[in-house]
Amino acid sequence: MNCEVCHLKDLEVEHYEIREVLRCILHTIIFHRALGLVRPKEIDLELFEITYVQCGDLKVEKKIDEKIEQLIGWVEKHPNKKSQICLSFYEVKNKQASWFTNKIERLYWEHWYVNLNVVQQPKTAYARSHSSKDIVDSENALEERSIRRACLETSLREVLFQIIRFVNDKKDHVPPIPNREGAISFPYEITIPSSSDSAFGMDMIKRMLQTGHPTMLS
Amino acid sequence: MASSHSDSARMEQIITEFFAKSLHIILESRSPYRSSRNFSGEQAFSSPSSSTSSSSSVRPRDKWFNLALREFPEALENLDLWRQSNHEPMIVDVILIKRSLDWDSVKLSPKPELIKNALSKDVYPNCWDFGNDDVGRGGKKEKIVERWVVQYEVKKSKDCQRGGKRSGCNVLSSFYKKSMLLLRSLYATVRLLPAYKIFRDLYLSGHIRSFSLGHRVSSFVEPFTRKEEAEMQRFGFTPVDTSCGRLCLSVQYRSSVSDISSEPSTPLSPPQLIQDYVGSPLADPLKRFPLLPVTHGSPSSVPFSRRHSWSYDQCRASPPFATCSPSPAHSEPYTSASNPTMSRLPPPGLPPHPPDTLHGPKDVASLDECYPSPIYSPSPSASPPIFIPESQLSKVLLRSESAPVNIPGLRFHNNPAIFKNQILSPSPPLREARYEVLRSYKTLGPSQTGETYETVLHGKKHLKRLSGMTSAELAFHDDFDETEYTCPFDVEDDDMAEPGSRLESFDQKGLVYEQLDPGAYLPVRKSTGAAVGALVDLLNKAPPLRQDSSISVPTSQTSGVNTCASSFPEPNQSCTEMPVKEFAPCVMASTIHVSRTASDAFEELQAYKEMKNMLLSQCEGPCNQLAYLARRMLV
Repeated sequence: MNCEVCHLKDLEVEHYEIREVLRCILHTIIFHRALGLVRPKEIDLELFEITYVQCGDLKVEKKIDEKIEQLIGWVEKHPNKKSQICLSFYEVKNKQASWFTNKIERLYWEHWYVNLNVVQQPKTAYARSHSSKDIVDSENALEERSIRRACLETSLREVLFQIIRFVNDKKDHVPPIPNREGAISFPYEITIPSSSDSAFGMDMIKRMLQTGHPTMLS
Repeated sequence: MASSHSDSARMEQIITEFFAKSLHIILESRSPYRSSRNFSGEQAFSSPSSSTSSSSSVRPRDKWFNLALREFPEALENLDLWRQSNHEPMIVDVILIKRSLDWDSVKLSPKPELIKNALSKDVYPNCWDFGNDDVGRGGKKEKIVERWVVQYEVKKSKDCQRGGKRSGCNVLSSFYKKSMLLLRSLYATVRLLPAYKIFRDLYLSGHIRSFSLGHRVSSFVEPFTRKEEAEMQRFGFTPVDTSCGRLCLSVQYRSSVSDISSEPSTPLSPPQLIQDYVGSPLADPLKRFPLLPVTHGSPSSVPFSRRHSWSYDQCRASPPFATCSPSPAHSEPYTSASNPTMSRLPPPGLPPHPPDTLHGPKDVASLDECYPSPIYSPSPSASPPIFIPESQLSKVLLRSESAPVNIPGLRFHNNPAIFKNQILSPSPPLREARYEVLRSYKTLGPSQTGETYETVLHGKKHLKRLSGMTSAELAFHDDFDETEYTCPFDVEDDDMAEPGSRLESFDQKGLVYEQLDPGAYLPVRKSTGAAVGALVDLLNKAPPLRQDSSISVPTSQTSGVNTCASSFPEPNQSCTEMPVKEFAPCVMASTIHVSRTASDAFEELQAYKEMKNMLLSQCEGPCNQLAYLARRMLV
């Protein structure tokens, strides 16, 4: 089975935008992979004029929110670092028991990489905004901010279309729909960079080993 | 072979259901029928939150493609053709209907109209009677903003047969799975395209717009013109191959659509919504008869919302008063009704309407100007939506010609009448002007404004000064109205009670009035226009030259004629021509009797005439308020 990988376009976000942006992206991906009975739920973003769709599964929502919180914690500890979130879908295969007690094997068939570049807010302009010059500066900063926000909205929209295109273009690798209750037809996991980069890398390597299919990195 | 037959039958069924589902998805996010997430209908999902809660009930149709959608029977009505044959393409045009010029026949409440129009879409195939009833009015423009094409392209029979041999359960399930994926991406895509923003604005936000969305489902394509084609972008979903053909889905959409919807779609607060919706001047038939007093009188008895509808213009044209203080000007009640928001809104020059629905602010303004104000006037209290009952209204009308009030025992014994007159003055054409002035007043702050006043000018001098003033400044005096004065028509009851306090209120505002020499002084401000306003008002309300001193009747309005009738017959002047009004104080009982001669009056008349001519000469287009004003003065 193929494992397809989709690297989503980099997004430059401010700290307070992480949550909405990630929710939007992750839910959109999962909605496209929720091939069980789905009652779609559309959500209007607050920061952007964008409506995205959730699959309406509360567990999914909870899991995504948890992961996002973890990521935000990580971002706070590691400012100025790119953060990559990986959403992976896999199939579970029962493996014959070996000297590893783990009988379950995950067969990954799809990885989505969400790349965020968290930028620092231009705090300096606000910190000392007593002189008129600084006030002007902060006004400029606000203006820049709104421009930047508009750019981000465009980029986010592009990312959503990137997801849709990918879903359209790559259909063959999606496994047959298992008989599962609920909207979520395929198990998935969300990986965020852990406390150290090396660990994140290790995690990836481990996962690759697990799948046994390092596969095509498109 | 039998299995292959059944497979192809299944395939056909999947395709048919795919048509149905995709139509359902498209219309659900483009047509008002589903009535949005705001409405709770009997449908399974009236809101996103409820959609999950109702998961227990799974309709058979929901199971198709494992996608449960809101009930949307209309979408299914249109499907007969494609149920018979999958080989016809299904074209869904999403149409933006813009209402423009002619709002004559638009009903007071456009909302039902909007929805009706959007619903009056034609279904299948070539009925273009979309909102026929409106086409005759010439006020509608239609524009295709999206064209969805769902199509099953059949391969040549050879291929099909070869494919058929390969076809089996796997192929079928794979096809089904892929069409599920396709439908999911369709579901997400319809919400990302620009037209969804329009849909949201129209049906989810509860705002009323000058446009609506409709749709048309047909089996053939009416080709776009080249220009249209150039404006459209295309998004093609990857076709799903089957053994016998492929299932295609694509959309052409207008990316500039968002501009259309964004113009008027600035988020409006609820009060604005009311103005926008009922109050649209274009939706107001009453506007057509602005000069008929009856028209004005009657609305006051209609329900609140209606009032808003006809008073909209006034709201718009009048200043965004920050205070809720009573004001005699007719527009006040409505203005204050919208006060809380108006003050936060962009200046009145920016009507909340979609610009394209209007002839332009000017036109509206000119309509506005035609209103005889007095009838509307009096909402004394801070509570805006209070309207005069008809009885009171008629009283008002009756009283409108009465003589100015005399307030005895005042520090400025001359002034009260002046004040009163000013306060009572309707100065209908000045609404907008006053607006300006008020705004400047607010900017300056009371104290500063006060400084701009010059206490008094003597005789004709002030008239000369006035001649340079702009219409916008004419109405300054209306500011007074904003302070503390109750409804002019309430004057009868209570205006004598606390005259002093009123004066104080003026003082607080920094308006300085000095005692006038009999008949000679006017409160005139240095600021050019303000004086004109005061003067005009004064003229309107001035008491007759001679009056029974025992009469102390609160004036509401003085129309020229009446004043004339009760005024001292001047030599050389007929009633109709003579706006000569002595300054009220001088003739009032308990005030100083002024000895004014007819020649004095005549002199003044000349000055007034001069001013009138000046005003008339300034009148152009939007300035016809001045003409009106001047006419009034001389009547």
